[in-house]
Amino acid sequence: MTDQEILKLYREGGREEAFRLLVQTYKERLYWHIRRMVLDHDDTDDCLQNTFLKAWRSLANFRGDAQLYTWLYRIATNETLTFLARQQTRGEYAGLDAADRLPTDPWFDGDEVQTALHKAIAKLPPKQKAVFNLRYFEEMPYEKIADVLETSEGALKASYHHAYEKVKTWMKEALDAKY
Amino acid sequence: MKDILSNRGQADNPFRMPEGYLDSFEDRLMARLAAEETEATQPKRPVWRILKPALTLAAMFALIFGMGYGVLSLTHTLGRGIGTTTSDTYATAEEEMIRPVSLINYYQTAESEEESADLDEETLLNYLATELSFADLAEIYAQTYQK
Repeated sequence: MTDQEILKLYREGGREEAFRLLVQTYKERLYWHIRRMVLDHDDTDDCLQNTFLKAWRSLANFRGDAQLYTWLYRIATNETLTFLARQQTRGEYAGLDAADRLPTDPWFDGDEVQTALHKAIAKLPPKQKAVFNLRYFEEMPYEKIADVLETSEGALKASYHHAYEKVKTWMKEALDAKY
Repeated sequence: MKDILSNRGQADNPFRMPEGYLDSFEDRLMARLAAEETEATQPKRPVWRILKPALTLAAMFALIFGMGYGVLSLTHTLGRGIGTTTSDTYATAEEEMIRPVSLINYYQTAESEEESADLDEETLLNYLATELSFADLAEIYAQTYQK
């Protein structure tokens, strides 16, 4: 079912059914988007539930000038950034603790290179992390990332370049130290 | 520096999720949604209902205090504690001891005491002979015996 069909169903009174369809369509993509940012499964579950609850509350005001997909990604990203900011004020540096726990996390099967990669990404400032993940893992076009993060494409390209160079350096340092 | 990130192999997803997590996600989400909506539609508790426990506690204290006061009043033991009795007794005694006495009263009392004192004749004669002149003695004699 397309976004337009889901919205039509919602506006014609099938609110709950439309919402269920929306959740079914986007839950997995949004789960992985959030998971790469917060790393921990339980934290991801909290953020994902909050994302859909916010979507449910604001769906009636959705004007349709953006794609439903972009709109949901924006809510999920903001929810995740808020979670990371709260984590930072609690004394953890935005997912760093979760990154340290990665090798013992039962829901992580990465090899040494993947562990080094996700530990390096965890060191990035939260918004740069979002840019890097959307571009590197999801290969989202800059134009769409600009819609999600409400930033200019030029600023995004610069931000991605900086993030890429930092991650590359940190990964190399981590892997060189091991061998 | 070799571009380690250019190898797309590491971009493969190393994360896993618990089995059946996504299948049960909608049901858990809808249950949470229903719970939140029920909570939101419930009328707000009135103020008296929020204050009820505190008011009950205050009423109980008042009742216990009232009962205690009533019992003490009926048995006339109110205000007769050990400390109160001692201080009251002391205050009354002190008040009696420091009763104001005027100077005139004091001298009158002193004179009458002097008058009533027994004087022996020899002392009196000695006093008259040494302290008074002949003229004074004559005057006293005249006043005493010529009336």
